[in-house]
Amino acid sequence: MANHRKEFSKIYDKSIDKIYRFIFLKVNSQEIAQDLSSETFLRGWESYKNNPKINNPSAFLYRIARNLVIDYYRQKGRNQFVSPDDVAIVDPGPDLEEKAVFNSDLGEVKAVLADLKEDYQNVIILRYLDDLSIQQVAEMMEKSEDATRVTLHRALKALKEGCNKRQYFTS
Amino acid sequence: MAKTSEKLLISKLQELRSIRPEKDWVSSTKTRVLGEDPGFYFFPYFKPALVGAAFALTLFVFAFAQNSLPGDALYSVKKISERSQALFVSQQAKPQANLQLANKRLEELSRVAEKNQTGKLSQAIDEFQVSVSQVAKNLSESSDPVRNKEIVDRMVSEAQTVSAYLGADVGGDALAELKERTNVEYVAYLISDLETRTLTESQTEILNQMKELAGQGDYLAALELYLVSQQ
Repeated sequence: MANHRKEFSKIYDKSIDKIYRFIFLKVNSQEIAQDLSSETFLRGWESYKNNPKINNPSAFLYRIARNLVIDYYRQKGRNQFVSPDDVAIVDPGPDLEEKAVFNSDLGEVKAVLADLKEDYQNVIILRYLDDLSIQQVAEMMEKSEDATRVTLHRALKALKEGCNKRQYFTS
Repeated sequence: MAKTSEKLLISKLQELRSIRPEKDWVSSTKTRVLGEDPGFYFFPYFKPALVGAAFALTLFVFAFAQNSLPGDALYSVKKISERSQALFVSQQAKPQANLQLANKRLEELSRVAEKNQTGKLSQAIDEFQVSVSQVAKNLSESSDPVRNKEIVDRMVSEAQTVSAYLGADVGGDALAELKERTNVEYVAYLISDLETRTLTESQTEILNQMKELAGQGDYLAALELYLVSQQ
């Protein structure tokens, strides 16, 4: 039991930042992200101590986190992954100076990302923020590698369109 | 309208890696999820070895302490060991056990004297006299005056040997009082025992004289009278 605890402790240290960020980008609230992240690891530990031979603990934790976020929005009756905070920063205004300030804020990318559908969010976070390979992302998403590549391509396209539409930053 | 390049977009996305949970929260959540860190994961494997080593060390210290003398660093360990053993001695066996302890104190006193460790002499004599007092305390709880007298006589004899060696009375008042009390109990026992027996005329006369001497408080004379009559 002590060994399982030690192993899961390492998994926690390795995954906590990623799981928190994964959830935070979807709920856009520190408090809710903390609650759902805690719950993710509590459930993960409960399962792990009974079955420490889980093949991919990281994928397992992402799956729990994903389901918790879905449950959270289902309970809240929300249809979009957009919070009032995001709405406040949607329009940067036409002024160039204002635009420069706005571009330095990570909030815009976050807001556009939050507008995307869930699959697109997941594939972008896993591939570009968590630096997972296509194979690993495919495993997490429970899709084939080809289907994952297609989803990633479409997700980036949707993100780019969202940014262009809002004129957040230019090439 | 300017277009967002894919490279810039990915670069902006990667800046989102700066989103991190607060360190305090990470730490407290880990504790909440996994419970308190036991600190020593291999404890179950090492525990028997640690306990075994500690036990062996304790045994070694206690064994080594048995040769210590009053004033030595390990002497208190020796006393603790003796007190622990005394807990398992029955009430009836206490006088003899206390005599053995008193004899130990005498042996220590003798060794101190032999080694000419004058600095330890005073404590060694005190330890002996305290042990004699302990014998006296338990004598009153015993119902065997014959055995008591044997015990005390042997102790007095040994104390006299050490006293002669040191040229000083190591038993002090404590041993003298103990010897007197033992004689009183023994004479009282002899008188009551003789009263239950069928005696000759001369034996009856001796018994009467013993009673008279005991009534006057001269128990030693009463005892001598008895011992002479037995020769």
